[in-house]
Amino acid sequence: MAIPCHLLKACGNFIFAAQGSSIHSLNSALEHISTWKYPVKQGDEPSGQTTEPRDSPALEGPPTKRRKVEDGQESASNGHAIDSANGQGKTKSVDKYAHPAYEKPFIQGLYATTDGRHLVAITGSDKTIWVFEHDGAGNLKQLSQRAMPKRPCSLALTRDNRTILSADKFGDVYALPLISSSPGATTTANTSHPTPTPPPLSRSATPSLPPKPQANELTVHTKRNLRALENQKISLTRKAQQQQESQQQQQTTQPQFEHILLLGHVSMLTAICVGTERVEEEADGAIREREREYIITADRDEHIRVSRGMPQAHVIEGFCLGHEEFVSRLCVGPGGRQEILVSGGGDDDLFVWDWATGRLLSRAGVLEHVKRVMRESVGKVAVTRLLGCRWKGRTCVFVVVERVPAVFLYELLEDNTLQHRETVPLPGNVLDVEVIELPGAAQRLLVAVDCSFSTDEPEKSTSSLIVLDKQEAAWQQTKVENLPAGGDINVSEDELQKILYTTESLRKLSDFD
Amino acid sequence: MGATKKDRRQKREDYRAALRQEGVSELPRKKFYRQRAHANPFSDHQLIYPPHPDQMDWSSLYPDYVVDEAQDQQTPAPEAPPDQLSAPLKPKRISKDVEVADIGCGFGGLLVALGPTMPDKLILGLEIRYSVTQYVEDRIKALRLQNQEAKLYRNVGVLRANTMKFLPNFFRKGQLSKVFICFPDPHFKARKHKQRIVSTTLNSEYAYVLRPGGIVYTITDVPDLHEWMVQHFEAHPSFERVSEEEQEADPCVEIMRTETEEGKKVERHKGQKHVALFRRLEDPAW
Repeated sequence: MAIPCHLLKACGNFIFAAQGSSIHSLNSALEHISTWKYPVKQGDEPSGQTTEPRDSPALEGPPTKRRKVEDGQESASNGHAIDSANGQGKTKSVDKYAHPAYEKPFIQGLYATTDGRHLVAITGSDKTIWVFEHDGAGNLKQLSQRAMPKRPCSLALTRDNRTILSADKFGDVYALPLISSSPGATTTANTSHPTPTPPPLSRSATPSLPPKPQANELTVHTKRNLRALENQKISLTRKAQQQQESQQQQQTTQPQFEHILLLGHVSMLTAICVGTERVEEEADGAIREREREYIITADRDEHIRVSRGMPQAHVIEGFCLGHEEFVSRLCVGPGGRQEILVSGGGDDDLFVWDWATGRLLSRAGVLEHVKRVMRESVGKVAVTRLLGCRWKGRTCVFVVVERVPAVFLYELLEDNTLQHRETVPLPGNVLDVEVIELPGAAQRLLVAVDCSFSTDEPEKSTSSLIVLDKQEAAWQQTKVENLPAGGDINVSEDELQKILYTTESLRKLSDFD
Repeated sequence: MGATKKDRRQKREDYRAALRQEGVSELPRKKFYRQRAHANPFSDHQLIYPPHPDQMDWSSLYPDYVVDEAQDQQTPAPEAPPDQLSAPLKPKRISKDVEVADIGCGFGGLLVALGPTMPDKLILGLEIRYSVTQYVEDRIKALRLQNQEAKLYRNVGVLRANTMKFLPNFFRKGQLSKVFICFPDPHFKARKHKQRIVSTTLNSEYAYVLRPGGIVYTITDVPDLHEWMVQHFEAHPSFERVSEEEQEADPCVEIMRTETEEGKKVERHKGQKHVALFRRLEDPAW
């Protein structure tokens, strides 16, 4: 099963395209420069990274949630596991990673610093954030690999390009430095913050106390529960002894790198971005202008939350409320309009917000335009990409909808309304879209498509990148053919579908029960 | 077994239907409203909540406070100009905003006790369990009928809601002056700690709905949970703990100790009650 490119990121004069678990780099003429590949795990790890607390079976502290293992092909993957592990007596967790899709997790997000010197990527099933250095010529050098406590859904970078904000499936946002200090040397490097740094939030109250039952004779009343409490106490003291012994051998399972909990929703986070607001303030008689940073987070429960930036991320400034289905994408400051936030998700419309006040400015229909493309009846849409930019001298937002073979172009007008301008049909479902800036202010549009469904020209559908040039009234489509084959991951078509199209599954199933 | 179960459900429905008829002022009986003590706050349930606090229709909860729009025509709305986009259907306005919230109100003991002591404030109970919410609804209805002359309990209401997820859907920034968290589910297992109603990340939401100077009241009979709540509120830069003297001088504390159903139960079992109050601080300069 050929895997299409599914993520694009422009970075200066270069384009990075993720295909499965590899990242290709291309120059602006779309010539292939190099490819980074996910390091293959073998007996001895060649990557030489030690900061990966894979779920080892011997855990202490709160036990981690049991994760769902994809069913099907289980017998095959078991055999594979024994081969690769050289028959070492490894436990179940090995089987899980021996599965091809787990061994080489897909890249789920690609982000670039504004200076173009670093690229950040998320891989899905291993919950890892990767940081690469970009040498300015299209080559990537892996700097760090950090496995987060929960799977990151979306990342953002602060304006100074020094901190990564990671929004995860558990609803929490963590801040981690872009350039991580060496693992192990976790000194309290809080020097970058101004002096009144609030204590970092923490979820666990007292992590390493000897375990004791949280109930006591005064909170338990029935005879049976009292007996259970007695038994619990006995078993806990026994366990504590065992643990003390094992503690000398093993350190905590907490990640060893610096990461601070900033804020959290009680809902799966879907998007995070950083907004800036210019404020004028009078200091010593002079009017000074400065920028305030805000963290904007969106979740599956229709909320968009605006919190202050670090180090006051615990202060919620407001909410942008009005969505009636999940929010899956945020786009702040399209084309330099910093005060504007465009959001999309499972609703029929895109929402345009004045995010600093939480006021809804306008709505723009998506479903109506999708209906025109799909011909067959479509009842709902799930927005998967919102790309805000200056396009041909206008402030535009390119919109991608899950399982729809077209890109929708909207223009943000002066009166803060989004006007649908064009629908660009494509030969396959669109996965991502990016603008290529060429010298002389020329612009091209690069689109990643999944052509696995287009039955016509089966031999030509191997390329998944298409360049679009606007000429007069028509769009000239050119396929990018020179990419190296990315079929190094063996996944079935069903699995690929599951990995590529995840947004619609965020919808709540209330209409069925 | 099956038959008796069905019987019981039928009885329950008959009882509630009879009670809901007009003019019945009998207090509801708990045995027809029992429900499992725990609800998963992460699941979607089938909740009804407004997309935005401006779209919340409070008129059915506090019918005595509904503003007669016809009379009110001359005086335009004091708040922001009517926003066509965010409020397509403008609900009936009420003359006051809810100011006191009891999160996880259970069978409503605290609500019913607070109502007459704060006659000028609107009090709202929030409960995630459907049957229990129904009970409190029927209880308030009966009490209103029983105290028709004195016009008591008109300022008390109850809603089914998952506050861990949807608190900002009901309340605007700084709308509340008091939040009660009484005998919350202790969630003993470490893995379930995120389900606790108090956590440092959730405290940011309580800070959002509370005005500066507003108070969070907590009480529990589980010492570990008490420690947990104190630790997490004290660690949050938006809150400070209220001193012991001030705590004991607050009349709400006594009501919270003696009037909640759980408080009475702990009393019967001669358990301990741990109280802690936290004040919402002003946000720092920014």
